[in-house]
Amino acid sequence: MIQRVKRRLEQRWEKFGRTVFGCLLRLFIGRMFYGDTEPAAGEANRGVAVMVILLALPGLLASLLMLQKYGSLIRFLRGQQAVDPFVTPIADEYSFIVLSIVVTGIVALWRWDSLFLDRRDYKNLVPLPISLRSIFLANLCAILALTGICTLVVNAASLLLFPAAVTASSTGIVFLRFASGHFVAVVLASCFSFFFVFAVAGILMAILPATVFKRASLFVRFLLAVILLAMLGGSVINPEFFSRMATQSHRTLSMLPPLSFLGLARAVWGASGDPYVARMTGAALIALGLTFATAAIAYSVSFRRLFIRIPETADVGLVPRLPVFLSALSPRFGRFLRKPAQRACYEFVGRTLLRSGTHLQIVLGFLALGSVVAACVLASMTTPRSIIAGKTPPLAFLCIPFIWSYCVVVGIWFAFDVPMELRANWIFRFWLDRDQHEARAVARWVLLVFSLSWLAPACFVVTMVFWGWSVALLHTLVLSICTFVLVEALLVRMRKIPFTCSYPTFKSNAGIIACGYLFGFLFFSDYLVQVERWCLLNPWRVLLFAPLVPIVLWATYLYRKQLLAMDKELIFEEVSEFEF
Amino acid sequence: MLEAKGIYKYYDSTLAVEPISFSLHPGQVMGYLGPNGSGKSTTVRMLTGLLEPSGGQVLFDGQNIRENLSAYRKRLGYVPEEAHLYEYLTGEEYLEMVATLRAMPAARAKSRTDSLLKLFSLWPHRQVTMGSYSKGMRQRILLIAALMDNPDVLILDEPLSGLDVTSTLIIRSLIQALSALGKSVFYCSHILEVVEKVCSHLIVLRKGRVVAHGTTSEVRGDIGKSTLEGVFLELVEESNLATVVNEIVDVVVSP
Repeated sequence: MIQRVKRRLEQRWEKFGRTVFGCLLRLFIGRMFYGDTEPAAGEANRGVAVMVILLALPGLLASLLMLQKYGSLIRFLRGQQAVDPFVTPIADEYSFIVLSIVVTGIVALWRWDSLFLDRRDYKNLVPLPISLRSIFLANLCAILALTGICTLVVNAASLLLFPAAVTASSTGIVFLRFASGHFVAVVLASCFSFFFVFAVAGILMAILPATVFKRASLFVRFLLAVILLAMLGGSVINPEFFSRMATQSHRTLSMLPPLSFLGLARAVWGASGDPYVARMTGAALIALGLTFATAAIAYSVSFRRLFIRIPETADVGLVPRLPVFLSALSPRFGRFLRKPAQRACYEFVGRTLLRSGTHLQIVLGFLALGSVVAACVLASMTTPRSIIAGKTPPLAFLCIPFIWSYCVVVGIWFAFDVPMELRANWIFRFWLDRDQHEARAVARWVLLVFSLSWLAPACFVVTMVFWGWSVALLHTLVLSICTFVLVEALLVRMRKIPFTCSYPTFKSNAGIIACGYLFGFLFFSDYLVQVERWCLLNPWRVLLFAPLVPIVLWATYLYRKQLLAMDKELIFEEVSEFEF
Repeated sequence: MLEAKGIYKYYDSTLAVEPISFSLHPGQVMGYLGPNGSGKSTTVRMLTGLLEPSGGQVLFDGQNIRENLSAYRKRLGYVPEEAHLYEYLTGEEYLEMVATLRAMPAARAKSRTDSLLKLFSLWPHRQVTMGSYSKGMRQRILLIAALMDNPDVLILDEPLSGLDVTSTLIIRSLIQALSALGKSVFYCSHILEVVEKVCSHLIVLRKGRVVAHGTTSEVRGDIGKSTLEGVFLELVEESNLATVVNEIVDVVVSP
């Protein structure tokens, strides 16, 4: 029976795919999922599967935590009373709404460039006997489909598990009512988040020239990412505070999403008679409607203004020239590299990092994450004045440059793995000697220049203003040395020129590696800073730790030395460990 | 002198190029002809050192190029079959990068790059990213990159692809002028008319095997055809062109 239905659905989908509209819809959905790359079929399917898992994972993990929190046995053992399913979980409902908004928003930011039709679509589709209306509608439907799929995947786990956890000891009716409220709130919040990003992109596209849009959109995305991450950080640190705002005070603030979406859930849970909840519900629905309408209008305008006029506009313009002293590509920095090949590679890598939207997006994403974590650390101080009080800087102050340094270095490190115009790497294959170790020198220099060139002076100046030059010098020195050691540790097995090698293959120990990075973050931005503070109390203590640096560097040197020659050879293609 | 001594290449168990041997002396222009998939690009990659032959050797001045690839490439100019370039770099930046990779002194690199950009009519576009370049402009960038360090050997894989008539005529004459200066040119192309005009020697390849090798006039004489087109069709094409054309027309006009 199920097989028959499945077969019939497949046949219908196949039939629909053979119509003009269906064909366009499949094309656009494919582009939104796979981006501009053209992976092999297997890789593409694996990519989608990994993407779905990653999107569903935050909701699943949060729901599992809820199972523990609301488990009746655990509550009984803790001596807690039975929960009121429509009051107690308000703070957690807020967290789920935020999670839904953040994850969906990040997906929309990630696929920002794929949402709108571009030059390639124009060249391939417009010469064909297809009406512009069909192209317009098919892409709009593809965007709606992406929104729907994304919303369902992001919230799939919480839609079932969270109501089940909260209403475990209640009747089925209570479960249904709670689940309906939760469903309405998180699904609409997801849709709002997606359409909000879409509307911002559409407005920028409609009002800015194409070349300006490309540059501006990167920074707008960075800002949106910071806002989303800050929202997430706030909900993780103090969800009760936000839920209080939604129920008791700050009436104006609670009209803003995501708090207003909490009103939707509460309305379904039975508080619709409360005028305050009714106002929140109204605000959420108005926000959703406005966002959707703005997105639709902006999409229509940008389609008419840009897509139809693509042949009249240049794809890219002149490259803006940065003042030499500001540019990370300044010959001053390249001069420190010994060989011409290293200097050429450094300039290539630097320009890629600064000009490629994809790579800059990754680095800015990590920077945004670092900024939010830094803000949370500062917010944890009792008063703003306590940040700059005392004879020695407090931990919260000292760890800020460490957090940024780690995030920037690791962000660039991840960006290195994303290839750029892979077929153009023949120039490096042609010129670079595979046995020479140019890759490490280039990567090391890029990581240091792009992190320490701005962090170290900033760290020195700010510390000097509040604690004098000796503390500033020591703090900057420790930061620089720690960053250098971090870079050396990351580069221990480096054997590819950044951006010139194919994507890394999936590693079976990916989970352990991710945990390693998390532990590295804690170690770098917390434990090391504690040691630094202890040293700052008596600067001679630094001498106790000074020998550690050459020991670590010597260890990385020895590790590299014992590697086989083939493991040090420059590569341009990653080989799967299974193939190997 | 560039010499191929019985080089061949297997991709897994498929023999892409059967053993080939030839010598390219200073001042010679060697035409390398063959239909798509005949193994031309594989041969070119082996000659440039981008691909290691499964057997045989490529010698430059009597030394295996694998022994010192960097020194060999320093004396080599190469234009690949397809103009894959980093699109977010400007033409000027790309050439600057190639000059640095070639370890050219900065002043000489700058003056040569500027002059060649002007001569190849790319000066007004030098600060525009290559993403907006036409196929011909990209090809000209690759030609400048190959010529900028005064190479002794030029390996050109379809160098005229996408070029306009004026540029084509310039390149054709340039190859002859460089050959007169004692440079060796290995020239891969489909444009038989140009090959006929500029090449002193010829190798014709079919399914990875050399089917003709000699001076252009020798090859023409051996096959008994007055034009290179006739030689090519005789050696390489299996089916009757007129029949294929008729069949295509039949398919196109069929209801």
